[in-house]
Parts: sequence; structure tokens; C-alpha cells
Amino acid sequence: MGGREKLSGLKHLKEHWEDIFSCMGCGDCGYSIRPAVERYLVCPIKEAKGEGGFEISFPRGRMNVLKSVLLGQIPLSKELGKWVYECSECGNCTEVCHMTHNENVALPTCNWIDHVKVWEALRKDLVEAGFTPLEKHSKLIDYMNRDDMRNPYGEQKIKKYEWTKGIPELKEKGEFVFFGGCTMPLRQSETLKNMIKILQGAGLEIAISSDEWCCGSIALRIGDEQSLQEFIQHNINIFKEMGAEVVFTACAGCYRTWKKDYPELIGEELPFQVKHITEILIELLNNKKIPFKVQKGESRKVTYHDPCHLGRHMDLYEIPRKVISKIPGIELVEMKRNRKNAWCCGAGGGVKSQFPELAKEISKERIKEAIESGADVLTTSCPFCIGNLKDAFEELGPEVQEKIKLIDIIDLIALKI
Amino acid sequence: MSDIFNKLEKIVSDQYISKDIYVRHAYSRNVDIVLQGVPDIVIRPKDAKEISEILKVANEESIPVIPRGGGDCEFGGSKPIKDEGIVLDLKRMDNILNLDQENLIITVEAGISWGKLNEYLGNLGLYTGCMGPGSGMTASIGGGISHQSVGGGGCAKYGSCTNQLVSLEVVLPTGEIIETGSQANKFSKFPFNRFGNGPDLSGLFCGDNGIFGIKTKISLKVFPKPEFADYKTFLLPRKSAETAAQIMMEIRRKGIDVYDTMFITDVVIELGSKQGFFPLWENIKKKKGMLFYTIEANSEAALKENVKILDDIILNKKSEYLGPEISDGNIAKWHYKEQGHWLFYHNLWGMFPSMQPLSAECFCPIHIFPQVIKDVDQWDIENNEDMQKIFNITKIRPISGSGPIPLVDGNNVEVTAGFLSFWKYYEGELYEIIQETNIKLWKSLIKLLVKYGLQYYMMGEFLSRFMVEIGAYSEEYYNFMKSIKKTLDPKMILSRGKYNFWGGEKS
Repeated sequence: MGGREKLSGLKHLKEHWEDIFSCMGCGDCGYSIRPAVERYLVCPIKEAKGEGGFEISFPRGRMNVLKSVLLGQIPLSKELGKWVYECSECGNCTEVCHMTHNENVALPTCNWIDHVKVWEALRKDLVEAGFTPLEKHSKLIDYMNRDDMRNPYGEQKIKKYEWTKGIPELKEKGEFVFFGGCTMPLRQSETLKNMIKILQGAGLEIAISSDEWCCGSIALRIGDEQSLQEFIQHNINIFKEMGAEVVFTACAGCYRTWKKDYPELIGEELPFQVKHITEILIELLNNKKIPFKVQKGESRKVTYHDPCHLGRHMDLYEIPRKVISKIPGIELVEMKRNRKNAWCCGAGGGVKSQFPELAKEISKERIKEAIESGADVLTTSCPFCIGNLKDAFEELGPEVQEKIKLIDIIDLIALKI
Repeated sequence: MSDIFNKLEKIVSDQYISKDIYVRHAYSRNVDIVLQGVPDIVIRPKDAKEISEILKVANEESIPVIPRGGGDCEFGGSKPIKDEGIVLDLKRMDNILNLDQENLIITVEAGISWGKLNEYLGNLGLYTGCMGPGSGMTASIGGGISHQSVGGGGCAKYGSCTNQLVSLEVVLPTGEIIETGSQANKFSKFPFNRFGNGPDLSGLFCGDNGIFGIKTKISLKVFPKPEFADYKTFLLPRKSAETAAQIMMEIRRKGIDVYDTMFITDVVIELGSKQGFFPLWENIKKKKGMLFYTIEANSEAALKENVKILDDIILNKKSEYLGPEISDGNIAKWHYKEQGHWLFYHNLWGMFPSMQPLSAECFCPIHIFPQVIKDVDQWDIENNEDMQKIFNITKIRPISGSGPIPLVDGNNVEVTAGFLSFWKYYEGELYEIIQETNIKLWKSLIKLLVKYGLQYYMMGEFLSRFMVEIGAYSEEYYNFMKSIKKTLDPKMILSRGKYNFWGGEKS
């Protein structure tokens, strides 16, 4: 049977029938090594699973399973959920599938597959069928939905704003509004304080809401789109009321969700611009608005880790690099895999919360690569990457910690002003 | 089945075996989207010894075993053909065991990909010469040897990858482990030569499509990558296929040791351009066939001399040189310098969503291929009614022709002739019509090509059985092959469906 008539309960996957059956199963999404274009492997999950990884641990195997699901040969189930949530949705597979790495030749394996969208469609169907969220993901969603929390960390709402105490210049309304998200205010608040110091030092007036909710990225990645509608409307309304013309965030995940997912989900453009902190910083640096201290003789080699939600998902590769290059006393060196070929940190797609050990293994690989670059600082611009890399650093111990430091791009600037 | 599972689990440990329904479905397809069967068990052994034990269990229980390398066969080479059996995933065995730098011989485990091996060699200024199949980023060395693979670059100079073979370690279907070539002499300390010590039994396993044994360890000659290279692309005049064939024959006659020469057919250029695959040729008004060459040399003078001869040959045929850069149209530079050889095989796949190639990859004498292309065009016209049936449903007519045609060993080329069509795209009754029509068309085209005497090399289950069904093998040859199979594999456990050795069931 062709099978579409069997697809009740596969509402979202069915929309990706063409993507899934366009996959010929060449396997390059698992094995590509093409040194001439700096491509060294693809799937962080497959590699972290090491020898124990069956084909279902990378996209080709998953696509084969989905072909069978769509043809009604196997059902959705919680067991399938356990396999497919082991994916950080980094999009490296799509990169390999679509690209020939030369603008003059476009001989892709297949131009028709957006893997991350397929994985998210599957997750939505699994959630709607009641097989998932998995246990730890369920908790995050519960926390998010609680009126006294509205964040996936299970922290009281009020705690999200503790970091702003002692910064009286923050406005309640204004054109330039900061969206804090959850991870930075609750886990990396010192970086936020540094950010405000830099921005205010450059003369910017910043407004911040005391009632923002989680952007909903985690729910989206898990496939619980239902939970999200209320969040989107709440957040957009709050910022509209504040008079926002630009909403900016320092979180790569929030940025992707605001800039890409929100307009798609509500079916219209947002009533304000959305920017990532690096886009703000580069404007300030270009206009020489950040007064760096002169520090003679100091030179640090810094390597930049491309967060998937900034790079592959949003094509923001060069701006963070330009920011780094403009910091005095810093030499930017690249890791073997960078930009579109960058290795994921392993935290995304709900992997960090559900499979923390797997996420950490992936980060260890990235740290190893950062050390190989000759850098003594590994920087990035995503609190989720920072958190996961930090956990891996701690586990790797002093020997590695002495070789390289992990510093957010904001803190890197703050150290110099 | 649970008893068998337990026995196998003891061999590899629980981490490397699965009977999970989803894991099994993940291994139920190759480079095709057709599910013919789902294995009972997937197992990932670490070495020849474990494979030997697995095969012994399979023999005791008479369970088919399907060895799988990169899983890149287009004709059902490494997937179950019915709901049974053990898929033996060799990708865990992907280590480089030894590089003999003095003798330039590398020994690897069979599951390593051509991409991974060449990355390692590249850092040492070496390469495998023939870079394996076009699917070499994923395809394994074991799979390449099992298929006499070409297509991934270098096959005009080095021929099929089996030309580089020095010795093999093979687990026979009944579990015995043998070594071939110089290693057939148990006193030999390292692999150094394929031939000698009696008949060339390595050859028995070259292109065997996995029926005579499971390759576990492979020693290959490797080569220093020459320091100098050039690469040029030319637009051919009308009758481009005939011109390309004349050029290739002249290159061979003059003994110019090209690394690659490839003819890209008119249909690929025309349709690929329409689909935006070739921005580098956007400004070329008359979209005709192209030809490119790459050539290597150890000195600039030698390179210059050969390039001049090649250019004279090609330009004398009213061809047009497109310029040195990729942006000028020089796809040869992309192919050679950016390792595009591992992507070229994808061309035309996925021209439209869910479109699949129904083709056959075969070796063909140079002088014959223009006629093959013409006859495929004629075949297309003759089968218009069936093509139209598919068009009426999908609104896109299947596309017939050949993919790029590379020069290979001697005076041969590789032709990938066939057609692109839709497969699992439309539902229910319409799908049935498409499937039936596709299979009818595919078989008719393959029959046409077989009757030219062309040689299939990647045969898998589909082509191997088809050759038998249409009586392409002489009875004596087929019986000879079958008697070898019976001797090596009395219970026919290995790749059971291929060549109809197992009871002659129809495909």
C-alpha cells in the first residue's frame, strides 16, 4: 500500500512525506569526511555513542524508520521516543545533505530534506499521541506551565529577576528591550551583569520586563507545540506594551525561537526587530562605543564555538567573529570544524535535560578540538553551550582546565573594559 | 529466536546486538527506499573471530546472514529480502591497522570508509589512487572490494579499487578464517603482494557481492599523491557522446595517463542546469555535453607536456575550453580539488522530491557507449505509453539517460544508464500503478543493456537475480559459480537471495 490512508495520528510527519521519501539513504549524514572542504564527520550523537551506536543513532537510520512508520509498518511508541530524542537537532546532517561547499556547483545529496523539521514533526506526533514527553522533559514542561515559575528550571518566577537588583538604570518601558530568557538569569547571571555594564557604558538605555515567560524553545524542541501558543502571545504582548522597537537577547536558543519560530507559528512578522547580543555589540564596536582599557603586551588566543542555534539555524557566523576580532589583545583562531561544519556542543534538542551524560560526551569532544586549535580561551555566545561545556570541563579535570578557559563572549569583552 | 539471540549476545555482548523493532527497521533499506524485509537481529561484531562465531551459530540454525558495510548498494546488496535473518553491521570495524611506509601498503578493517582512510593518508601525502565508489564518504572498503567499485575519482588512472588489492582476510560462510595473497603463506610476516602462492583466490572475493565470504581485513597498495596536477573542462560540440568517445579512445591510444576523464551527458547538463545544479554553467547558452579531465604529474614539465597533448586532442574536436576557475565552468577543479568526486554520483537524484534512480551501473567499452545512450533514448520513446502513465499521476515524466560517464580501466567507461521516477510518493491505488510501471520499465531497460553484453558490477540482490532470470549467464558458468557457492556455503546462509542460488525464487 502507498500508505497515506494509514496515517491517522501522524498529522505532522505526514506533512514531511516528501522529505522523508527523498532520503536515498546514502549515509553521508553519518560518515562524511571531506577534508578539502573541512568536513570531518557529521552526527555528534552517533560519534558520542561510539562503537555502541546502531544506525538508528543517526539520520539515515531514523529516516528509514520513519519511512516504515509512514507506510504503516511500525507504530509510534514511547520506545521510539527514547531513540529519537537522542538528537540535539544541530542540523549538521542537513548541512551535509544540502551543500556542495561551492557556490558554483550545487550538486547536493538532496535539497528537499530539512532534517530538524522532520525530527520536530515526529516529536510533535509522539507528544500528541501521548507517548512523550519523556520523563525529564515532562518536568520541564510542567515547570514552564506553572504560573509561579514560567521557566523550565523549576525556579520561582521572582528569582529570574534577582540579577537586576542594584541596576537601577534599567527601564520598565522603552524601545530597546532585553529578553533575558531563563538560562542566563537563573544560571549565568554574572554574564548578564557584565552585559548591562557594557551596554550602559556605551550609553544605551535598556528596558526589561519583570514578567517575561520562557521563550518556549524547550517545548518546541520537545514537540509540545500546544503549550507554546500562550507563551508566544504573552511575550509578544508584554513587549508591545513596553513600546519595544528592538528586542534583543543574549541566548542563542531564545534568539532562534523569537526570530524564526515565533513568526512561523503566528503566521506574521513580529511588531519589532529581534537581535542577538552579538549584533548589538558589533554595532557598538564599529562605532567605537566600547571603551577598552589599554593593556600592553597581553595577547590571548581565542577560539569561537558556533552555537547551532546561531550558526546553522540562523546563519549568524561572521558577526560573533568580528566582535571577537575587535577585542584588543585577542587573536581569533579557528577550530578544525567551524561555521557550517562546526561540531555541536551536544546540549540542544532536549538532550542535555534527558540524556546529560551523552550531552557531556559531545562537549568533551568539542573541548578537545578547541585545545587542538592552540587557543587558550574557548568562547561562545550561547548560555546553553556554556553550561554544557562547563559541565564537561569540570569532568575533564584540572589538566584540561589549565590548558584552556571557557569564557562567554560578553565576559571576554567585560574583562577588557 | 530468543535462544539464537542469547547465543549471539554471548559472542558480542549486549551493547552490540539488538532485536528492537526500530533498530531492525533502520537496517532494512540500502540506497533505495524499498523495504523488502526486516531482519530478526542486527549485530555489530568487532573482529573476524566474532564473525566466525556468529556464522557458526547461523549455520547451526540455518539463518541467513546479510553483511553490511556502508549500506550504499543501489540494488539491494546489504538488506534482507524477506522478514528474516541477521544483518551484520561491519561499520564498527573501521580501524587502520598498519601502514607499511616502506612498501606503501595499508591494512585496514573492512568497515572503514574511503573518506576516513583517505583523510588519514592525505595527511601523509598519500592516497588510495582509485578513491572507491562515488559514495565513498560512507561506503566501506569492504563494500568497494565486494563490488569492484569505481566512480569516486582516479579510476581512469588506477581502475577499479580491486586493482589495488594486496591481500584479504575473509571469514568463510562456515566460519573458517583465511588470508589471501602473500598472506596465504603462513610464514609471511606482512602483506606485500596479491599474486603467487597458487591461484589468485583474492579474486574470488573481488566483486563477489558478498556471497563467498565476509571480508574483515584488507591490505591495499597506496600511492604518493603527485605534487602537480591540472584539470580542465570543455564544452563539446553536437554529437557530444560520439566526440567524448573519440577523445577518450585517443587519450588511451596516445598513452596519456589521465587521472580522470569524464563525459557529462547532454541530459545531465540540460536538466541539471534547469534545476539550478550548475551555477557555473549558467552563462553557457547552448547546453551540450561536457568533458573534463584531471591529470597528475611528478614534475611541472611532465605535466605541461601531457596537458598540451590532451588539449590538442580535445580542442581538435571543436570543443571549447571553459577556463581555469570553477566559476569559469571548470567542474574538473571542483571534482579534483574539493573532493567533489564523492558527490558527483548524487547528481540528478532528488531532482524533484521523492524522485529515485532506477538505473544500472555497468562497465562498457568506450566505443559502444554513444550507441547505448542513443538506444536508451529510443527505449524511452518506445516506452512512452508507460512513461505517460506515471506522468498522468505525478505530472512529472520520468527522465531517462545516463549519469556522468567516467573513463575506467583500459578502454572502458562506466555507464549509469536508467531513468528517474517516483516511487513511494503517491498513495493507494495510484502508488500501485506507479510501482508496477516502474518495475516493468526498469526490467525492460536492464534487459536491453544486458543484451549489449555490458558488465554489471554492483549487482545486489536485484541485478544478480535478474541476470539469472533472463538467462544471461551460460549454464556452465552459472553452475560453476553455484558449485563454488555450495562448497563454501552449503546452507546458503550468506546473502541468500543473490544469484538465485537459494531455490531459485523469483525476485
